[in-house]
Amino acid sequence: MAHLAHYREAHPMPFVITHWINLVAMVLLIFTGFYIHYPFFWGFESMARGLHVFFGFVLFINCICRLIMAFIVKSSPTGGTRKQVTDYKTWLPQKDNLHQGPQWIKYYLFFKKDHPLSAKLGVPQKISYLFIPVLIILMFYTGLALWVPTSEIPFFAAGTSLVGGIMSMRIIHYFMMFVFICFMFIHIYLANVEGIAPTLLMFFHKEHGGLVYDPDIHNIIGEDDMGHGKQH
Amino acid sequence: MEGEAAMSAFANMLEARGVTRRDFMKLCGTVAAAAGLSQLTVPQVAQALETSVIGATKGNLYPVIWVEGASCTGCTESFAQAQTPNAAEVVLDMISLNYSETLSAAAGYSMEEAKEQTIEAGDYILIYEGAIQEKWGGNALRVAGKPGTEHLIEAAKNANAVVALGSCAVNGGWMGAKPNVTDAMGVQQYLKKAGINVPVVNVPGCPANPEWLTSVLVDVVLMKLKPADLDLNSEGKPAGIFNQTIHDNCERRGHFENGEFVYEFGSEEEKKGYCLYPLGCRGPQTKSNCGVVMWNDRRSWCVQAGAPCIGCCEANPNDPGQNWVEVNTPFLKRHRSLHIGDWDVQPTTIAVGVTGLLAAALVVHGFGMKATGRMDGGADFEKKRAWDAKHPEKSVGTYEVSEAERQKMYKEDTGHDDPNATKEGR
Amino acid sequence: MTRSVIDPVTRIEGHLRVEMEVENGKVSDAWVSGGCFRGIELVVENRTPEDAAQIVQRICGVCPVSHAHASSIAAEKAYGITISNNARIIRNILEGAQFLHSHILWFYNLAGLDYVNPLNALKADPADAMDLARAAGTSMNSDFVALKEHLSQFAENGQLSIFSGNWFDAEDGTGFKLPPELDLICTAHYLEALGMQAKASQISALLGGKMPHVMTLRPGGTAFVPTDQKLDDLKLLVDELYNWVEATMIPDVLAIAPYYADAFGYGKGPGRYIAWGVFEREDFKMSNRYLPSGVLDENLNLSEPDEKAIAEWVGRSWYKGSETYQAPNFTTEPEYTDYNVNDRYTWVKCPTYNGNSMEATSLSRVLAAYKRNVPFIKEHVDAFLKALGHEGDLSVAQSTLGRTAIRQIETLYIATCMKEWVDELIEAVKSGDSEYFRAPETNTGDGSGFWEAPRGALYHSESVKDGKIQGYQIIIPSTWNLAPKNEKGQHGPLEEALIGVPVGDIEKPINALRTVHSFDPCTACSVHISEPATGKRFETVTSPWGVK
Repeated sequence: MAHLAHYREAHPMPFVITHWINLVAMVLLIFTGFYIHYPFFWGFESMARGLHVFFGFVLFINCICRLIMAFIVKSSPTGGTRKQVTDYKTWLPQKDNLHQGPQWIKYYLFFKKDHPLSAKLGVPQKISYLFIPVLIILMFYTGLALWVPTSEIPFFAAGTSLVGGIMSMRIIHYFMMFVFICFMFIHIYLANVEGIAPTLLMFFHKEHGGLVYDPDIHNIIGEDDMGHGKQH
Repeated sequence: MEGEAAMSAFANMLEARGVTRRDFMKLCGTVAAAAGLSQLTVPQVAQALETSVIGATKGNLYPVIWVEGASCTGCTESFAQAQTPNAAEVVLDMISLNYSETLSAAAGYSMEEAKEQTIEAGDYILIYEGAIQEKWGGNALRVAGKPGTEHLIEAAKNANAVVALGSCAVNGGWMGAKPNVTDAMGVQQYLKKAGINVPVVNVPGCPANPEWLTSVLVDVVLMKLKPADLDLNSEGKPAGIFNQTIHDNCERRGHFENGEFVYEFGSEEEKKGYCLYPLGCRGPQTKSNCGVVMWNDRRSWCVQAGAPCIGCCEANPNDPGQNWVEVNTPFLKRHRSLHIGDWDVQPTTIAVGVTGLLAAALVVHGFGMKATGRMDGGADFEKKRAWDAKHPEKSVGTYEVSEAERQKMYKEDTGHDDPNATKEGR
Repeated sequence: MTRSVIDPVTRIEGHLRVEMEVENGKVSDAWVSGGCFRGIELVVENRTPEDAAQIVQRICGVCPVSHAHASSIAAEKAYGITISNNARIIRNILEGAQFLHSHILWFYNLAGLDYVNPLNALKADPADAMDLARAAGTSMNSDFVALKEHLSQFAENGQLSIFSGNWFDAEDGTGFKLPPELDLICTAHYLEALGMQAKASQISALLGGKMPHVMTLRPGGTAFVPTDQKLDDLKLLVDELYNWVEATMIPDVLAIAPYYADAFGYGKGPGRYIAWGVFEREDFKMSNRYLPSGVLDENLNLSEPDEKAIAEWVGRSWYKGSETYQAPNFTTEPEYTDYNVNDRYTWVKCPTYNGNSMEATSLSRVLAAYKRNVPFIKEHVDAFLKALGHEGDLSVAQSTLGRTAIRQIETLYIATCMKEWVDELIEAVKSGDSEYFRAPETNTGDGSGFWEAPRGALYHSESVKDGKIQGYQIIIPSTWNLAPKNEKGQHGPLEEALIGVPVGDIEKPINALRTVHSFDPCTACSVHISEPATGKRFETVTSPWGVK
């Protein structure tokens, strides 16, 4: 049993905050979204819609901030190290992941016994995370196409008429919510199935000992148990 | 006096639009002068009839041809329910309705002749009710020995404007709904296909509210606006009527905001007039001012009577598939059904189904993880990348380092010395 | 031998062509062609019965309530629901309002212009008109002087508007026979009727949201829940309508009839009648409805309707094949060939009852009610026949003018019932009954709705599986009445009625037009196709967003 050491440098404080905001906004958006779709208890409609619109903006602005910060804030390119690079580089292809995509798939499907060596974000992870800002922006667009004060703006109205009217736009918005829900299921599952250390780090900045990985030679070079007991 | 009362009704309408009574008299020209004339007029009608079956081609009334395509006559009926002004006032004092299959006194060949003469004289409006059907060369509708499509082309060619009245005329209406066996479509789309360039005013609704038609007629006939000057939205619908949703002006909107809903027909909540949203009301997405003009001389309207809106004004003039039936059924559900081949399915079924499958897959995967002992920190890392093992010359990772280098890197990576470093190395 | 054609027939619902062979001044053969095919049964397939009750109303803008009603009854039968008492009364009122609307509109504004010449009213002396109205005992709510002036204004302008095409000179000007004063009275009533039929529709709007195409009538009952204010409005409207109908319609009929007495002598259809009955009583029995069901043979012997006796044949219509189909399973596929009176010539199919053509009009209903001794009908029909000098002679009723006139007795009967129902509803609400809707407990089943539209017997049938309609069938009154020749070679009822009609003017056969209008045809309604419960016939490429 082994995992890499979880250092704060992997997820600097600004990203902990944006991640928290994402969590709260998404959960509230999904809940209020379901309520708006069908008001399953009484008395909450205007608040639900108010919250939904508000957190829609929050999610979008948060997404933009996160994207900008990727070019300002530094973070670790891999687990198990305190070395840092500008964050956006951890989103681009990294040498650590070179040729490792199929290995990841094999690992998840139990065709491979060993855990693949990788960058901070493994190949499937990186692809799916990169998809999220696109999804948020699209969701924001479809949301504004449905929101009365903005729906008549030609930029949104054109989209509505392209997809075949408000009903179609509403269904697209609805389906996309399920994409978020599915993503969250997978994300929460994979982040925690091998232990909750990543969650503690992401939300509470709690470090956890583990193997040390050097991003320059792309290999494990030792262990830093940080008093959590020997991993190896 | 009845005639004056009618005139005065129109004058009031115009005053509401900023036209003074004096201007109105000018607009009407000789109507006022003619008021009070006597039996002398009888021979004049007779004289007019000798030369033409439509009487004078020019006069104070705006010539109108009202053609029914594949219709249920509901829009004519709806027009006949109007009281301010009523149908008689309109056809006697405002327009000369030279052809109407429902209201005209004459029939048969004489009617076709009246239509031809009106078309020839020009300067008229065509009101078209019902869908256009292309199937069987237009013969799904046969009138006077000709396919319906020909009648539209003939009547539209020379018109100042065409009013596509009702959702069927706008885009085929329910006839455009699956399976659309007659290839139904709207007036605008058909005329475009036929290469006839005439302005089309789209007035959807099933039926169209008579007040909407009157509003268009007042603009064109009394205000003498050119079709190009009408305030139409991007779908060619009068903007003042069709740019806001029913929800925007709904009398039950307060209950919506309060979260007070009707979940069952005939319930106590229904009696209290709560919001019909959970019963599939299409008000939030249907654009029309029903809640303002209401129906049948403003007696009531769908939502007031306790029925959720079914979105009958939904009609995209360029796409028969985007008709109110296709877009809104099942009416009682919040979403329309999707058609995938022969499978009719609610979006929720698909979405919850896929999400459920995924959740199940994750649970199964979790048992796999448990079985392979990966739950507690994951599997051991591979010693070497598989690719590196095969291609040592192009190896990604460096697997052989000296102990000194390793310790140096360790310090850089962790910020401290490796406590486990022993003299003999790791 | 000459052909006389009326195409389009105006002042009806829909598109209708009438072609007649004229011999010695009389129609010797006739073909009636329904001009428009729309295919509503296919649209409601795979949709829910609740959706269907809304969509099928779009068959007809004149009688949508009846279609919603018949469709809802079919769904309720399929689901095994009996509606609540309040729902029954509200639906009766909704239906009754539509009947009043339809009958008033039809008599004054549609059929009326076959008998009344408003342009001739210009010659009238308003004072004489007053005297005449008083003598005829009809209502005098309008200012005849002002009306005449209004007409003069209109005539002075010279544009003919709805009088374009002018049939008033039919038969060299002898086709229209009323004196100018009566023309003036009836023109006044034409205009009043426009207001009154709209008032009737306001009742539909009050209870149904809007008219045409009401919204609250649905399988399981009604979505309308009355409040005190709504009940007040309802009572006022119903009273106003009753007063006008009572004071105006039958006196007008009796005033006009003598001038056109010859029209009692022609226009008899097959002489066989069907009525499925309309307006439910508490026991929900077809034979006990306010206007009860009944099948009448040539001798007017009454029998109970039998669904299995209904069949449809397509051999003379624009559909594939020449099969006969038994209710409720009709299988047809539209296929336009040419208009050819010797072969196929209409979009209307040919329904038969025990193999015979049948007339389905309000006359059928009144005769069935007469035979079942419904007191009001019996009394008024007898009085009416007596007033015309034909005491006890029902054959007078079976004619062009008879069919036209007898409908007004029904109108008055319904107006009377309306008052009764409103009181019944107010009592029920006062007594605390608050049940308006019953939700279904199953979503699979078959059901047929036997009902009446203002123009005659109406039949909807559906097969529902898992909440989706698998097959939907409709037979409309006008399908019966406008039917082409049947398999036996019998003409359809309207064709039959036209044979023998005197034609004095080949170009403007006004008597034929009167006969057509006496049936109150509703052509858009009459054209139908249907599919079997299994198998898809129409291939269309679909995207998830609908038909492109």
